[in-house]
Amino acid sequence: MSASLVLDIAERVSGLPAGGSITIELASAEVADLVAAWCERTANTLVEHDSGSIEVYRGRLADPIEALPVERRPGHRLWIYTNFHCNLACDYCCVRSSPRADPRMLSLDHIRRVAAEAEAAGVRELWITGGEPFIRPDIAEVLDACARRLPTTVLTNGMLLPGPRLAALSEFSRDTLAFQVSLDSPDRELHDRHRGVGSWDRAVAGIRTLRGAGFRVRVAATLGYEDQATEASFHRFLDGLGIPAAERLVRRIAKRGFAEDGVVLTPQSLVPEVTVTADGVYWHPVGADDEDMLVTTLVLPLEEAIALVRERFVATRRRQDALARIFACG
Amino acid sequence: MADTVLVGAVAYNPNVVPVWEGIRDHFRGSEVECDFVLYSNYERQVDDLIAGQIDIAWNTNLAYVRTVRRVGDRARALAMRDTDVGFRSFLVSRAGSGFHTLRDLRGRRLALGSRDSAQAAILPLFFLRRAGLAEEDIAILRFDSDVGKHGDTGRSELDAIRAVLDDQADAAAIGVTTWDAIGREELAPGALEAFWESPPYAHCNFTVLDALDEERGEAWVRRLLEMRYEQNSEVMDLEGVREWVRPQLEGYAPLFAAVEEQGVA
Repeated sequence: MSASLVLDIAERVSGLPAGGSITIELASAEVADLVAAWCERTANTLVEHDSGSIEVYRGRLADPIEALPVERRPGHRLWIYTNFHCNLACDYCCVRSSPRADPRMLSLDHIRRVAAEAEAAGVRELWITGGEPFIRPDIAEVLDACARRLPTTVLTNGMLLPGPRLAALSEFSRDTLAFQVSLDSPDRELHDRHRGVGSWDRAVAGIRTLRGAGFRVRVAATLGYEDQATEASFHRFLDGLGIPAAERLVRRIAKRGFAEDGVVLTPQSLVPEVTVTADGVYWHPVGADDEDMLVTTLVLPLEEAIALVRERFVATRRRQDALARIFACG
Repeated sequence: MADTVLVGAVAYNPNVVPVWEGIRDHFRGSEVECDFVLYSNYERQVDDLIAGQIDIAWNTNLAYVRTVRRVGDRARALAMRDTDVGFRSFLVSRAGSGFHTLRDLRGRRLALGSRDSAQAAILPLFFLRRAGLAEEDIAILRFDSDVGKHGDTGRSELDAIRAVLDDQADAAAIGVTTWDAIGREELAPGALEAFWESPPYAHCNFTVLDALDEERGEAWVRRLLEMRYEQNSEVMDLEGVREWVRPQLEGYAPLFAAVEEQGVA
C-alpha cells in the first residue's frame, strides 16, 4: 500500500507547478508519517490540517511566519481578555462589551497559569484587555501575575484609574508595566458620541494621571469614516499631552461586534495575534467574541494552542498563495 | 545593450517556465544576457539548434548524441549540472524476488520507460547486452508515456514501477532521479529493492554549434558557473542542480555506443 501511495504522490506532485498542491485524505497516522518523510527527501512541503487531510506543495515553500517581522509573528504577543464587561458601551465595540455583557472573567488562577507558561511557549509580550480590565477588583493581582513574568501592557479606557486601583499599582516596575488608553479624538463631542458622555474628560484625566505616576502610556484611537479628518489635529493634541509619536495607534473601526460599518476582517485577512479568553483561544483580539475566530477551547498547554494558531496561519497563507497562482493564470 | 544568447529548453513540466525565468534573471546585467524559447520535444529543439534558430540547446544526453551524430565536431557541450555527471540507472523488483544480477532476468518480464529515455530504456538494454542478454531473451514491456521528452517527466518510469507492483512485470528500469523520488528502499521498506545499478554516465548538457562564437559561449558559461545555490535555491531545486559544472564528455560514451548498436534514429 505504502509503495503505491508514494508512487501516486510522486506522480501527482511532479506534474504540479512550483507552489501548487495536492490534498491527501489521511487514512492513518502512518500515512502522514510516510508523506512527511517523502516530502523531506524530495524537497517538497507538507502542510497538515487538523481536519484530517494533508496538503503537499511542490517545492520548498518559504515559511510565511519567517517572512513576518519578529514582533508580528503569531505567539510573540499574547492577548489576555480578563473579562468582557465594561463600564462603557461603545457603539463600535468589536467584542460587544457593555455594563450588561456577560463578564466571562478569566479566573486569577487561570491567568497565573497562562502567564507562567507564556515565556516557555515563546511569548515575549503580554497584552491585557477586555471589557475594561480595571472593572475587576483583583486587577492589581492580575497585572502582578503578568508583569512579573513578561513585559505587560494593559488596555483601558482610563476612567477607573484614579483612586485605589492606581494606588495598588504604585510599586509596579515602570519598565514592565505599560498602559494603552483609548482616546478617539481631540474633540470631546466626537469621542463621547461613540463612547458615552463624560468619557473623554475622564480618559484624558487618566492619561495625565498615569503619566504623572511615571508609567509609559500609549494612546489608541479608533476612527470611523466620518472622523478621519480629525487625525491631523489629533496628533497635535497628543503632542500637547506629551505622547511620543511611536506610542500612538490610529486604526479604523472594525466591522465586528456592535459596529455596523467598518473594515471587514476575517481569519483569512488577519495575521493572527494569539488571544486567550474564558472561552478559549481566538485568532485575534478583534474577533474574540466571534465563533469564526475561535481556534480551540483548550487554552492550556499554551504552547500547543500557539502551535495550532501558527499551523493554521501557515496553512491559510499557503492555500491563499496557491489560489492566487491559479487565478493569476487566467 | 548587452549581447543576448538564445537558449532552447523542452517544456516537460510547468516548472520549466520559472526555472528559465530564474536563469534569465541570473544573466541580467551580465556581459552576455540570455533569453529562452521552449519546445514540446527534443527533436524539434535539435532541428532548430542545427538550423541556427537558437544559440544553445539544453539537451538530454540522447539529444546531445543525436546532435553530434548529425553535425560531428561542429557540436560541443558547454556545461552540465553536477547531477548530470554521475547519472545512473537502476533495475528494481519487488523485495525478495531473488534477482541478483542482470542475467537473472533471462526469461522474465522487464518494464522499460519511454523508448527514447536513455536511463529507462536505451542504456538498460545496452548494459543487458553487455551481460549477454539480448532483447529476445527477456519479455520487454514498454511504457512510452512521455516520448519526445526523453524520459524527463518521469511518468514512464513510474508506470514501469507500477507494473512491477501490479505483477505485470518482474522488474523495472528507472533512472536515479525516479528512484530517489520514491524514496529508494527506505520509504516503503519491503516493497521494492534495487538489484542492479549501472555504471555512471552523463545526462544533460548545454549544446552549441560552432556558429556560436567561442568567446560568447565562454562568457555565457562563466556567468552560468557563478550561479550559487544559496542565492538561487528555488530555481536550482526545481532544475535538480546544486552546482553547474564544465562538461565531462567521457560519460556519453555508453550512449553513443548504445544508439549505434540499437539503431536509435
